[in-house]
Amino acid sequence: MLLWETLGTAWKALGASKLRTALTTLGMVIGVGAVVTMLAMGEGARAMIEGKIRSLGTNLLSVTPGAPTRGPVRTGSVETLTWDDARAIAELGEVALVSPESMSSAQVRYLARNMTSSVVGATASYLAVHSYDLTAGTAFSDNDLLARRRVAIIGANVARSLFGNLSPVGERIQIKGMSFKVLGVLEEKGNEGFFSPDDQVLVPLSTHQAALFGRDYLSSIALQVASEEATSRVETEIKRLLRLRHRLGASAEDDFDVRSQQEMLQVMGQVIGIFTALLGSVAAVSLLVGGIGIMNIMLVSVGERTREIGLRMAVGARRRNILLQFLVESVIVSVAGGLVGLGLGALGAAGVATVAGWPMVVPVYAVVLALATSFGVGLVFGVSPARRAARLDPVEALLHE
Amino acid sequence: METDGSSALTAQHLVKIYNPDRPELAVRAVDDVSFTVERGESVAIVGPSGGGKSTLMYMLGCLSRPTSGSYFIDGRDVARLGDDALAEVRNRHIGFVFQAANLLPRRTAVENVMLPLAYAGARGARERALEALERVGLAQRAAHRPNELSGGQLQRVAIARALVTRPSLLLCDEPTGALDSRTGREILDLLEALNREGTTLLMVTHDAAVARRMRRALRIGDGKLEADGPTGEVLDGAPARASDAGGG
Ligand SMILES: Nc1ncnc2c1ncn2[C@@H]1O[C@H](COP(=O)(O)OP(=O)(O)O)[C@@H](O)[C@H]1O
Ligand SMILES: [Mg+2]
Repeated sequence: MLLWETLGTAWKALGASKLRTALTTLGMVIGVGAVVTMLAMGEGARAMIEGKIRSLGTNLLSVTPGAPTRGPVRTGSVETLTWDDARAIAELGEVALVSPESMSSAQVRYLARNMTSSVVGATASYLAVHSYDLTAGTAFSDNDLLARRRVAIIGANVARSLFGNLSPVGERIQIKGMSFKVLGVLEEKGNEGFFSPDDQVLVPLSTHQAALFGRDYLSSIALQVASEEATSRVETEIKRLLRLRHRLGASAEDDFDVRSQQEMLQVMGQVIGIFTALLGSVAAVSLLVGGIGIMNIMLVSVGERTREIGLRMAVGARRRNILLQFLVESVIVSVAGGLVGLGLGALGAAGVATVAGWPMVVPVYAVVLALATSFGVGLVFGVSPARRAARLDPVEALLHE
Repeated sequence: METDGSSALTAQHLVKIYNPDRPELAVRAVDDVSFTVERGESVAIVGPSGGGKSTLMYMLGCLSRPTSGSYFIDGRDVARLGDDALAEVRNRHIGFVFQAANLLPRRTAVENVMLPLAYAGARGARERALEALERVGLAQRAAHRPNELSGGQLQRVAIARALVTRPSLLLCDEPTGALDSRTGREILDLLEALNREGTTLLMVTHDAAVARRMRRALRIGDGKLEADGPTGEVLDGAPARASDAGGG
């Protein structure tokens, strides 16, 4: 009875100025949208990282140039690792496979089509270390490396973009204007966080260094240790070896960093964590701004409807009926904004998931949290206008112009 | 002081001071006013502008509390009731008709009439609201919104809204003030008819012709009750009767 009257009044009041109502919800839309996107991103990234850790195995190490850092931001020189370092590491005991790698970005062209891709100089062990398979053609041979042949293995996306449905094997592509013969095509892997293996082109490391980019330094050395329990031993060995080879004094910092794959993924997790924290603060500020916006409009509404409030009091509305009326209105506005934000947030999460290549997860608690938050914001920021309305003097309200 | 429970209302030494805490702004708008109205009476409240008529009516309508004095409706002292209890008295016992109809603009006539019943928690609100509209001759306009109704029709809807809770007391503040004289007469005819059916009627007006439609008149000037008696005598300048609580 009174409930219907209250809801009916809210509906008419909010419907009377639709544009104003819509603008009022904007802060909540953005705030809740950011919260939902953030939570979904966090969940998706966690799911992906856990999946990778499970599938990669735990006996992979990665050596990168530059001083080690705890966070994701790298400092120091990045030109410290050489192929000879990699060869020396391969001589260590308990090291099964070593893959020295040098990565650059370049234009790749086939006939009239071209794209920018990561051109990776690699050796024959690259595929085994990273557990990549070929869907067509063959891998590099030792002779390809020795002779610095202009041959390439292309990722699945590169094959699709340049060749469409044609078979790339045996065709010639242009990298930085030089002609390369396609030996094989990599199987599709999907995105790995911020790097897409499907977009890369592999060439012999010797060709990469001598012919294509003319530099001797490596981007990284990936290696497989004989067994999981040997990993930390090998890590220590590599550190000692490289410090020796790089002639680092006792007080000098490492100019390289050895990490396990797990650690690499954890670093990525940290990057995602910073991202989500950033979004989280945007969300918090938006919710605050949204709440203040709602409060502002509700105060305006109370002012405009002062006579109506006086009339309601004259016909028997108690103060709490008036209070509830305005609280209901602010909560409806806020929750409506929250629902729209939830939808947009889910869309945003789906977009991020597609780009980043992780599963799209909108956790149930995110939905509950979004609705509870928008309800709470409506309540908290509606209280002050609603109290102002409820405390009006009936006579003064009735006489209000 | 005891009151006779059969009276519609009894005012005893009612005083209303605006801004009592700030002497330089304090106004004694109603100053020691006492009178009794029996059930079924029709009473005009007349007097010069600024004399205190509206202030008195707001107190009689339980929209404001007297600074001092007692006020009984149907034998019950309501002068010191809390906000919620006053709201309930307004809802159950009092119907208001103001100069402006004060209808909710986006609601139909019948929805406007239902409003007091929503706060009463009454059942069958729509049926009762339609009955009230029928009583004021507007049953066929029930689904119309205020912007589709004439001034006289708006005031009829307001009267239906005042009637719908079947109050014992109808309080009107210049109900015809915004209407042309013919429409005003029709509204007065309606109010008079309601009074004949038993509703106690109090009407604030500065219009002598309107006041003469009521049988009794109170003249308020400078906050004081200056005259109380049959309308003709009061309007023609008779002095106040001795107005003790039981008198009438
Ligand atoms: N809210 C108020 N605050 C202060 N003074 C008021 C207020 N309302 C009315 N008054 C004063 O009280 C006196 C009586 O006013 P009112 O009851 O409106 O008289 P009437 O209805 O007879 O014209 C006037 O002097 C008026 O200025
Ligand atoms: Mg007045």
